[in-house]
Amino acid sequence: MPELFPLSPVHYVAAPLLAAFLLPLVAKLSRSFIKILPGLTFLYVLYVSAVLYPQALQAPIIEQIAGWAPPLGINLYYGPMAGLFASLFSALGFIVWLYSLTQMKQEPLDRFYILLMMLVAGATGMVLTGDIFNLFVFMEITAISAYSLTAFLREDDKAEAGFKYILIGSLASAFVLLGIAILYSYTGTLNLADLALNMDKVPLSVRVIVFGLFLVGFGIEAEIFPLNGWAPDAYSAAPAPVSALFAGITVKAALYALARVTILLFPFAGSMALISILGLVTLVISELAALHQKNLFRMLAYSSMGQVGLAIAALGLFTAEGVYAALFAMINHAIVKGMLFLTVFAMAGGSATLDGLNGMGRKKPILSLLFTLGAFAIIGLPPFSGFWSKLSVLTAMGQTGNYAMIAIVLATTIVEAAYFLRATGRLYLSEGNPAEGKTPLSAIAALAVLAAGILWIGFFPGSIDETLTAGAQDLLDTAKYTEGVLKD
Amino acid sequence: MKKLLAAFLLGFIGYYLYTAFAGVPFGENKMEVGKDYLETTVPKTGAVNTVTSIVVNYRGFDTLGEVTVLFLAATGLGAILFGMKGKPEDKHREPSSILTTGAKALFPIIVLLGAYIFIHGHLTPGGGFQGGTIIATGVLILILGIKSFHANHALLSVMESLAGITFVVAGILGLAFGKNFLENILPLGTPGQVLSAGIIPIIYIAVGFKVGAELAGVLDTLMSTTRGEE
Amino acid sequence: MIYYIASIAVMLIGLYAVLVKKNLIKIVIGLSLMDAGTHLLLVAIGFIKGGTAPIFSEPGLTADAMVDPVPQALVLTAIVIGLAVTAVALALVIRIYAQHKTLDIRKISSLKW
Repeated sequence: MPELFPLSPVHYVAAPLLAAFLLPLVAKLSRSFIKILPGLTFLYVLYVSAVLYPQALQAPIIEQIAGWAPPLGINLYYGPMAGLFASLFSALGFIVWLYSLTQMKQEPLDRFYILLMMLVAGATGMVLTGDIFNLFVFMEITAISAYSLTAFLREDDKAEAGFKYILIGSLASAFVLLGIAILYSYTGTLNLADLALNMDKVPLSVRVIVFGLFLVGFGIEAEIFPLNGWAPDAYSAAPAPVSALFAGITVKAALYALARVTILLFPFAGSMALISILGLVTLVISELAALHQKNLFRMLAYSSMGQVGLAIAALGLFTAEGVYAALFAMINHAIVKGMLFLTVFAMAGGSATLDGLNGMGRKKPILSLLFTLGAFAIIGLPPFSGFWSKLSVLTAMGQTGNYAMIAIVLATTIVEAAYFLRATGRLYLSEGNPAEGKTPLSAIAALAVLAAGILWIGFFPGSIDETLTAGAQDLLDTAKYTEGVLKD
Repeated sequence: MKKLLAAFLLGFIGYYLYTAFAGVPFGENKMEVGKDYLETTVPKTGAVNTVTSIVVNYRGFDTLGEVTVLFLAATGLGAILFGMKGKPEDKHREPSSILTTGAKALFPIIVLLGAYIFIHGHLTPGGGFQGGTIIATGVLILILGIKSFHANHALLSVMESLAGITFVVAGILGLAFGKNFLENILPLGTPGQVLSAGIIPIIYIAVGFKVGAELAGVLDTLMSTTRGEE
Repeated sequence: MIYYIASIAVMLIGLYAVLVKKNLIKIVIGLSLMDAGTHLLLVAIGFIKGGTAPIFSEPGLTADAMVDPVPQALVLTAIVIGLAVTAVALALVIRIYAQHKTLDIRKISSLKW
């Protein structure tokens, strides 16, 4: 087949789309296809990653859709950073699929898997595309899948959480669209690289306004304070596999979009400092809020927002070390938080509370161990992945002389440690009699893959050093980006 | 209090949006990329309607995404309303016999108009989305006019799947022929003829079927959950 | 210019409905209005005085006499996206109504922020 269909980044989007359109048809042939087809699709995009990502590390792959050179056509930019994210999303998608096989029982399953695939494909498209309107379209694909999945379960207040999400999500998309409209009216182009070269046509005051619109628009999806009111509800309402994807994928894609757009179009010191400060505020407020949560999913959601805040704070430095640290924090967060969501769901079900963990250490030792591992990794204890990611964040802040930031991050780490150790303590120290139940092997396998990732990065942090450095350089080197896209 | 706060926020947003657009001259030619599209559409894509050539060809990837969004809305709607039924005691007025007869008589004509619009999308204003929407309004008239009417969901879902697959396969064929995704692989023909513009009419017909089937399905799902029948 | 102001006004009216109205359906209408305002704005940007529709339907039409086709193509996409969001939002409203038997957000405690 390789000769017939040369692999290119568009396969990341085309394959899941084809599978999603096929799924209703093959479901009529046999119900078992509903579960098999998404798995095959995720395996295929993983294969695409395995082939393309090493190439992207050498030189970015730029694909022109429909054969029109930018700025006429839409192009995909598959550089080291986009490749890293696309590969991460595919891997997480596959793991969540593996987990959902046995843990997801709520009908209609065919629609669940279609939405799941599109959530991943939409986020991947956001990362790949080199056109700002196309970015908007993929953002909407991701968002509409996310709205539907939030309200997927039937009980009590799921629809309300979905409604809140759709309300604020529509605001986000309206703002982004307005920003695009303003940019188009001044520059007459939509291609990101072409826009970057034509930004001098836009007066400075207008640029600030557009930056504000994009910051609000992408900030809502990236859960930046104070735009993240929807997140705890959505995280706790959605089925746990979906919450894991929200934390691992949708937020990351929105952050990537924000970072890419900021650095290409609004590279002023003020915009970056603002992002950094917002990140810190998000970090502090979310961690403090997490301390008060009784519902475990809400606690994880707030903790997730805090972790993203940490990544944003590092990203806002926009130095090579800062972006490196932000990437590290995002990858760490995607793996660890994904594992925590899935573990908690397997352990205590969809409405897990802190009390529900009492005495779990004896009943479900493997899951408890995994939870402990995840909790330690999030806090940043050595020798787990979280330690290195936090260390790199602190180093990056130290290099730019932001000692106040370091103090804030360390202080929030103590808060983080407080509530995660409290939860871990409940597992082993508190008396309780949780219900018996066996966790299927495939779900354990999915969790084990994530746990292995945490340990691998923890013991060999050097192994991902090269990819992170390349990713950071790719994001910061705007000249290379614009030249690459507009070479002819 | 809340209203005051909202008004303040609106004033804030409105003022800044206004200042952003104050520098954009209205009604003047400020095209950059647009000019290139206008100049190349007939010779390079064979489509006379520039908007269509942009939607389906130059920016065809957006349209693929757009079709997906609609597909996701239909899927999500089905997932959200899964298993919900309206209450049987909901009384609805019987449609009058004028409405019933009119609906039956109009439906074929509406479908014909819709089909005309999406088949000629590359020549005249309109296209797959517009044509599909018109067809869905035909179904809406049937739903309103005939109380016992129900769309055949199995047929609709097969139709939308096949149409979606056509779109993606048309894209992949471009790759298979050694070109790019969604790149035209058919002869362009004479601009202005129905059989011209390469894959544009094929994709737009698929989009027409898809949009028609999806919107009809959405309408029927919404109707049957609120109307109390199933 | 008046076109810009009018479309921004439509958008703001929609935003006002979203922020202030208590009825779920009215909030969804507000969302649609916001979309509509943005779409109007896009079309207004593309307008060129004396320009005709960008369709070369008869010989003699030249590119100089046409309006910008790009915003029209974008609006087509944006309308479909707006429609999809509205449909999903309405489905959620149906679910909420089925459970609470009211559309008033003041009476639905789980909709408080």
